[in-house]
Amino acid sequence: MAAKKAASGTLKLSPTMDLNEASALHAKLLSMRGGNIVIDASQVERLGVQCAQVLVAGARAWQADKKSYVVKQASDAFAKTMQLIGIDAEHLVAKEI
Amino acid sequence: MDMNEIKEIFFQECEEQLAELESGLLKLNDGDRDPETVNAVFRAVHSIKGGAGAFGLDDLVAFAHVFETTLDCVRSNKLEPNQDVLKVMLKSADVLADLTNAARDGGYVDESRSRALVKELEALANGEVPVASAEAPKAQPKPAVAAPTDDSGFQPIPFNFDGFDEDETPADAGQVYEISFKPRRDLYSKGNEAALLLRDLSRIGEMSINCDLESLPDLDKLDPEESYVSWMISLRTTRSEDEIRAVFEFAEWDCDLEVRAAEASPSGEELPMVPVPFDLSILNDDASAEAPAPSPTRDAAETPAAAAETATEASKMAAAAARVERKESAAATAAAAAASNTAAAAAGQTIRVDLDRVDRLINLVGELVINQAMLSQSVIENDTTGTSSINMGLEELQQLTREIQDSVMAIRAQPVKPVFQRMSRIVREVADMVGKSIRLVTEGENTEVDKTVIDKLAEPLTHMIRNAVDHGIETPEKREAAGKDPEGTIKLTAKHRSGRIVIELVDDGAGINRERVRQKAIDNDLIAADANLTDEEIDNLIFAPGFSTADKISDISGRGVGMDVVKRSIQALGGRISISSRPGQGSTFTMSLPLTLAVLDGMVVTVAGQTLVVPLTAIVETLQPEAAAVHSFGANQRLISIRNSFCPLVDVGRILNFRSTQANPVEGVALLVESEGGGQRALMVDAIQGQRQVVIKSLEANYTHVPGIAAATILGDGRVALILDVDAVVAASRGQSLKPEMSLAATG
Amino acid sequence: MKKKVLTVDDSRTIRNMLLVTLNNAGFETFQAEDGVEGLEVLEGANPDVIVTDINMPRLDGFGFIEGVRRNEKYRAVPILVLTTESDAEKKNRARQAGATGWIVKPFDPAKLIDAIERVTA
Repeated sequence: MAAKKAASGTLKLSPTMDLNEASALHAKLLSMRGGNIVIDASQVERLGVQCAQVLVAGARAWQADKKSYVVKQASDAFAKTMQLIGIDAEHLVAKEI
Repeated sequence: MDMNEIKEIFFQECEEQLAELESGLLKLNDGDRDPETVNAVFRAVHSIKGGAGAFGLDDLVAFAHVFETTLDCVRSNKLEPNQDVLKVMLKSADVLADLTNAARDGGYVDESRSRALVKELEALANGEVPVASAEAPKAQPKPAVAAPTDDSGFQPIPFNFDGFDEDETPADAGQVYEISFKPRRDLYSKGNEAALLLRDLSRIGEMSINCDLESLPDLDKLDPEESYVSWMISLRTTRSEDEIRAVFEFAEWDCDLEVRAAEASPSGEELPMVPVPFDLSILNDDASAEAPAPSPTRDAAETPAAAAETATEASKMAAAAARVERKESAAATAAAAAASNTAAAAAGQTIRVDLDRVDRLINLVGELVINQAMLSQSVIENDTTGTSSINMGLEELQQLTREIQDSVMAIRAQPVKPVFQRMSRIVREVADMVGKSIRLVTEGENTEVDKTVIDKLAEPLTHMIRNAVDHGIETPEKREAAGKDPEGTIKLTAKHRSGRIVIELVDDGAGINRERVRQKAIDNDLIAADANLTDEEIDNLIFAPGFSTADKISDISGRGVGMDVVKRSIQALGGRISISSRPGQGSTFTMSLPLTLAVLDGMVVTVAGQTLVVPLTAIVETLQPEAAAVHSFGANQRLISIRNSFCPLVDVGRILNFRSTQANPVEGVALLVESEGGGQRALMVDAIQGQRQVVIKSLEANYTHVPGIAAATILGDGRVALILDVDAVVAASRGQSLKPEMSLAATG
Repeated sequence: MKKKVLTVDDSRTIRNMLLVTLNNAGFETFQAEDGVEGLEVLEGANPDVIVTDINMPRLDGFGFIEGVRRNEKYRAVPILVLTTESDAEKKNRARQAGATGWIVKPFDPAKLIDAIERVTA
């Protein structure tokens, strides 16, 4: 596998994605702009709407940057909450086109 | 802990709160205007109300509610706590105490009094405050008014949280509602969470949701704490619109919410909106294409996409989502759990212990003391050398035992404050009844004494206080005429003095009317018409049995019992009482009581082959009578001359019926004892064995009351010894017989 | 993992009731006697939800709620107000101070657990 885009990082979401975490998540995403990103949602136990907002805005930003933005290993709580609040998986994905 | 135990805690707490309430009100009465005092008073009533509500004590809740409302007016400066207002409040505090007692063990409540006070309290609240805030107190004391309910807002409705298994809402039943929900920033900052509200909504029906992400700004312009998303929700449910709105109870101020019933649709028809299921296969497809590290377990993520796409029921969606691969996250919780061992509740300076446990400990230590004494004695008897190390060890053991005993007794020691506080209520009530104005001043409230003494102190003290208010203090008119402050003062003090507690009750009333007392005593055949009595002796006549100076027996100073009853109660406690009075200036009652009822320093004596213990506090001196000093007097009376004065000689063996004839005084020992008010007596005993501290064992508890005997004890050699009731014996020597009913010891 | 609840109430009766009710319902319970102590034990308790009384000595419920909301770490914790006050004014003040919701006394275990479930995940 030759040189694909090397600038790619993983962002591990914290278990408690509450009001406090929204700002931290926002800052982390801003700092990771420009490269591909894998968001590890495996540890998420609680997900608040404000963090979901940041994640959706992130996907849009990555799409605008034409970088890949992937959520992987979503925990049960993560998947259920996203489904409950009506945010489809499509809103959380950006492709490197 | 079960509810009964908590209820017991509640009543204990009520006692504390009532004490707090009263002392706060009294402070206000003295002109204290510290807002914290008012707050403390308010909190006390509020707290009683809160607990009472939890136990369904409706009468208590209703009264506390009215009281609290009026106190709230004081707290918010709508009502000035002047003397008149405080008078009502203090009375209300008394009624609150009565209601608490009634709730605890069915005590008596004067209902007409509590009803009248409710009216007075309401008048205070209504009279001074705008109409708007005065509408709250509507509760009446008697009819079982439920605790005040929330009539301004929402009554919580129980939800069934069983979630998706709920089949109360079949697909073909219920009404479809369209709900528009747009949270504002404040909703989140106050700790609410839109996701949880949506979760609860999903639990009361079949929900489909459409999330509006339109207003979500670009990532770099986004304020992470702002609220951008909103929802349109379709909910098919059998619940009412109100129940739907109830889900948003905590959030309704912080969101835009619309709930409206959709046009009735034929059952089974598709919901107006078809939600798109959260299909993680999209994410995972991308992950497989792009993720640097392939996920080894993603085989499990084979989501049946086709099924999910057509699914409209929340349950199916949940099932699909649940099938998605998820990583076990057990490890994540471990760190958080570690922090949880930190105990949050701060350790207090005191602990509460069930009194039974302390009593048991005290009894056991009592047994230990006796056992130690027995051990010492048998060692001494068997060890003639008397110098062995065993003796030294025993001495240390004795010292330690004494220290343990003192420490254990200290556990049960309590300040007299609660009893003193009760007295201020008595003064208030009685003064009110007889139209007098009286101030009670207390001092030394923190003086400690054994709880058993405190418990028995209240009754005689109450009686004395009533007496002082009723008879001691004059009417305001008389006082003014005598150039005194129309308001009388009663001072109640407690202090420790030489191993006893001394309680003094001082009034600034008229003092004892000696002429009248003397006449009454003559009329009642208590003294001879020509008896030559000192002022002190006359004053002390009021303690004589059957003596009452009240012209009519009033309900106030007691139901036909006089100060003799008080005296006997005090004596039953091993105490003494005396009076000194100055005409026109008032009277002083002085009570001296042992600090504990558990141990006693006594002199062990022999009388007619029996071993008796005479309380050391009663003994002035011991002497060996000489034949020349003993004089016969009348039929059976004998006197002994001691330093040029005569003192009646009392044969204890005869009085207690241990023997039928008088013993020869010269062969025995005389104990000069001081009895309350009645001067001195010389008690004849056969021999003195020694002095020691003994552990008191109640005869009433173990056997029955024996006239002339206060209690029993067990000596070091295992023998039971009776403890002499000196005052009863002295009284008997005056020609009064030792009848059981005379002694009040059994009433304790 | 057990949910952690911090209760703040000056009444020993209510504290005991809360303790019994919450323990029976499977919560881990931490308790404080007034607002000052409540703020002190916040760190050690790290609660998922807080239940507080309003009328308390030293620091009342309003002050306590404001204190929690000013705390960087715990400002997002849901706070339920336990109170006998049913009038709108008191609720309003509690909300303005940052309360999440309320439980109207008399104390009812079912109501308490319900309210906690509503504001926690």
